[in-house]
Amino acid sequence: MSNLRPTAEVRERPRFWIDVLVLGGFVAIFFSVTQVAAEWRQPLIVQVPIDLALGKLPKYALFSFARGWLAYFVSLLFTLVVASWAYYDTRAHKYILPALDILQSIPVTAFLAPFFLVFMALFPHSNTGLELACILTIFTGQVWNMTFSYYDSLRGIPGDFRMLAKLYNLNWWQRFWRLELPFGAQGLLFNSMVSMAAGWFFLAVCEAPQINGTTQRLPGLGSYIQQATDSNDTRAKIFGMIAMGLIIIVTDRLIWWPLVVWSRKFKLDDFGGSRAPKTTLQLWLSRSAAYSFLCQAGTRARNALLGPAQPWAAETSLLEPGAQPPKRGIAGKLTYTVILGALGALLLWGVWTLIQLLRPVTASDWEEILKDAGFSFLRVIASFLIGTLWTVPVGIWIGLNPKLSSRLQPFIQFAASFPAPLLYPWFVAVIIFLHGTLQTGSVLLILFGTQWYILFNVAGSAAAIPNDIISCSEILHLRGWDRWAKFLIPAILPGLVTGWITAAGGAWNATIVSEIVIIGPKTYSATGLGAYITNASNANDFSKLTAAMIVMAVVVVGVNRLVWKPLQNLANERCRFIT
Amino acid sequence: MDSNEKQPLIELRHVSHEYFVSRTENDLVLSDVNLSVSENETVVLLGPSGCGKSTLERIMAGLITPTRGEVYYKGKRLIGVSPGVSMVFQNFALFPWLTVRGNVLLPVGHLPADEQNSRLEKVLQTVGLGAYEYAYPRELSGGMKQRVGIARALVAEPEVLAMDEPFSALDVLTAETLRNEIGRLLADPNHPLRTMVMVTHNIVEAVYFATRIVVMAAGPGRIDVIVPNALPYPRDTDNPEFKKIVEQLHGILTHTSLPDTVPADPHKVVTTKTVDNRRRIAPVSLPYVNPAEVLGLMSLIGDQPEDLFDLAEKFGREFGAVVRIVKAAELLGFVNTPGQDVQITPLGKELAGTSTDGQKRIVREQLLKLKIFELLVRLIRVQEDQCLPSEELLRELQAALPHEKPRPLFRTLLSWGRYAEIISLDQRRHVIRLYEARAGGRGRPPPPPPAVPPAKEPEIPLAVPPVPPAPPTPQEGAKTSPQVIHNGDLPES
Repeated sequence: MSNLRPTAEVRERPRFWIDVLVLGGFVAIFFSVTQVAAEWRQPLIVQVPIDLALGKLPKYALFSFARGWLAYFVSLLFTLVVASWAYYDTRAHKYILPALDILQSIPVTAFLAPFFLVFMALFPHSNTGLELACILTIFTGQVWNMTFSYYDSLRGIPGDFRMLAKLYNLNWWQRFWRLELPFGAQGLLFNSMVSMAAGWFFLAVCEAPQINGTTQRLPGLGSYIQQATDSNDTRAKIFGMIAMGLIIIVTDRLIWWPLVVWSRKFKLDDFGGSRAPKTTLQLWLSRSAAYSFLCQAGTRARNALLGPAQPWAAETSLLEPGAQPPKRGIAGKLTYTVILGALGALLLWGVWTLIQLLRPVTASDWEEILKDAGFSFLRVIASFLIGTLWTVPVGIWIGLNPKLSSRLQPFIQFAASFPAPLLYPWFVAVIIFLHGTLQTGSVLLILFGTQWYILFNVAGSAAAIPNDIISCSEILHLRGWDRWAKFLIPAILPGLVTGWITAAGGAWNATIVSEIVIIGPKTYSATGLGAYITNASNANDFSKLTAAMIVMAVVVVGVNRLVWKPLQNLANERCRFIT
Repeated sequence: MDSNEKQPLIELRHVSHEYFVSRTENDLVLSDVNLSVSENETVVLLGPSGCGKSTLERIMAGLITPTRGEVYYKGKRLIGVSPGVSMVFQNFALFPWLTVRGNVLLPVGHLPADEQNSRLEKVLQTVGLGAYEYAYPRELSGGMKQRVGIARALVAEPEVLAMDEPFSALDVLTAETLRNEIGRLLADPNHPLRTMVMVTHNIVEAVYFATRIVVMAAGPGRIDVIVPNALPYPRDTDNPEFKKIVEQLHGILTHTSLPDTVPADPHKVVTTKTVDNRRRIAPVSLPYVNPAEVLGLMSLIGDQPEDLFDLAEKFGREFGAVVRIVKAAELLGFVNTPGQDVQITPLGKELAGTSTDGQKRIVREQLLKLKIFELLVRLIRVQEDQCLPSEELLRELQAALPHEKPRPLFRTLLSWGRYAEIISLDQRRHVIRLYEARAGGRGRPPPPPPAVPPAKEPEIPLAVPPVPPAPPTPQEGAKTSPQVIHNGDLPES
């Protein structure tokens, strides 16, 4: 009966004050853009003094926000281009996927020094170089899982739809908008949220990197909190955290949530279409005349840009009998070869540089690196164990209680998105207070970077356990150990493994910020690969840095290939519910 | 069909098509097909699964470029997608996020808005969806969805409408309604749709629509016979002439599917090109059916010979599927098939009457007489640890029966072998062992060695010498096999 009543949308008349809000929003966006642009064009100051006054905080928050999003757009562009390339170019895809896999395993900080040095050289007189370097570093923390996700959804497009696109001669642009993006939307969106969180994780490092022995500083929230920590200004620290929290909440509520709701219509099942409920925000906006005007303009622009399907594709031709089919695209082939050649040359140059860099690394250096890697490895394992031990029961509990899960969802998401390194100084203070050392304490710090992924995935797969199976477990009176070993653990195993895989890369990345923590004048450090990398980076020793990075990448890729992938195959083969 | 001397709309010349499976292996789905479609014709491609009829239709539409041979459209060589062909898909292929209007207008976006609207209105009226312009596909039933699919194909006013099993995903009643409507459309002199190419495995459907029925045979896919059908539209399925053509097609399909039977009542079958010498050399493959299906057949069939077509009706199964089941039963000696009739044998009667264990014993004995099981048992025996890796069996099957699809055959073999307790499969290690009854359990002695007379050993050469064991390449195999086939024309199974 309730759906006979007019919806809120119909009932409400356009409201003037909503228009004012919407227009105000546009003014704010415009103002923000000019602020950011002005910042970029400032003459280069390597170490911007950070003003801890609260009044400056909104500006710093704005700068960080802009950086995060610019990096995200670069990631999106990279994803769409590279994933499509990998999908359509059957020759290149054999090389692209492993390359992405390796790039994914390289810690974000590895990109820091090269990016900063190159871009500061390119833009010696303005801040642009610094900003670009910072954005690109954040980008390397965001992009890879998005690319993999989009590639998978490209592969998942049903064959009939591809045939349809061919039959109606959609060109690549139309095919992208009408076919590929809709099919990829859900996966891409979920991974975008994860990526954004991963981007914030290294915010402090990216905004206050140590390059050439000096600490660079870009104005932003990360460097603000860093400065507050250094000068032990508790008030500034707390307000910095609050600002960070606000950024995350605003991003989540104003951007991700409407997108998630909107993307539900791209489900390829009977729920596709318009069933998606409108969010409060959309209901509000629908009462704004300015907003509906913009929507109409958007639709018109989209139609104009998309263009109609052409009745005749460029690829179709009818030849007189006996005529030779035209040889296609010599120019295209040439361009392809040139691009591929350039990439190959770049790769060779990179390898050559690496070899040059690695030359001064002595045998004892390697020994130390390997020993440190062993320590870090143990820490990562320990953090995985702890993370798994608490997240599995909690995740199952949340997953099996739909009410609880919808209530807790925003909090968990917030906790996962909040960059843990900003909290590290406080954790370390507690650890020191409890007479612990960072040798064991950094396990806890790593844990905070990784446990959320496991929790998410466990809760997700617990929520997906079919009701029949739950009923069956109750009828069989599965209790205690049997209930866990025979029912719950196997049921969530695919999700758990996915969570581990997602967490694994992050855990190694986290060692870099977890094994050395600087609070004011004091430096707390642990023996480990992460600390080694940080030290080498601070000492400007690129040879040792590179060697350590390579070891880390090898360990991550190796564990991925030897442990996670087989485990994932096993879990998917045996523990997936067939629906 | 005598007036079809003018230029055909679509013409295929010496078309062959292979799917890339791996570097060393290609799957030949079509072999040297010559076919033409003229205006005012309805050509129906009929045949068992895996005969490449869908691929052939897509080649006609220019969606797939054949590996060999040429496609002509109105006498000109076609490169790329054909400008005059539209297509209806078995599973509708509607965009769930577009309304009926959005879906239908997809092919005519280049036309002016007025033209689009008038065409939309016309075509929605034609398929009876006038009131559904702004509905989403999820709100529609299967039949309605397919109407949208048909409307989308018609809105471009194609010269040829290609339909790929358009009624297979619908329930019986809905399919009947939709068939009648399409039939009326074809019969309507005012509707511009004149020419149609349709893929189906339903004989009645084929006779209902076709002016020519192209019967195809599998392994590799090729044209077997072309049967003309000059009955006037609209056609009546109860018409004796109609029934006669249906009968004739049954004869042909039975003949191509059960080639070792001699038709008792030789219809005037156009000579076939089928030359199948392989059967005598290579082990006969098992038709892809389950043990339960054959056992079901045995318990339902009476003492009197029954017509294959009547059986299909009785079981409510598609004719081709029933033929496969009967073929398997015949291979195991449970039935004889004189002509189109199915006659139970004494062994078959014994099977139907005995206990579950007795059934297993009979099936086991019969299976072990087949060369393919002989090969399987021998392959396991030559393994040092008596464990045959699944991947290796797949390779061997491929080598022994190059024209079969290894995976369905593999699954069939396993289901029979496991049912009859000849082999057991260890899914954890992906190896196949000979089944051994647990001591103390209700079991049976291990498979009798006489089933594998040593004298016969060298008859079927092993593709891979068993000692030393072939280099383990399961990962490679695993990588290549699930390759996505980009054009989406997955091999039927």
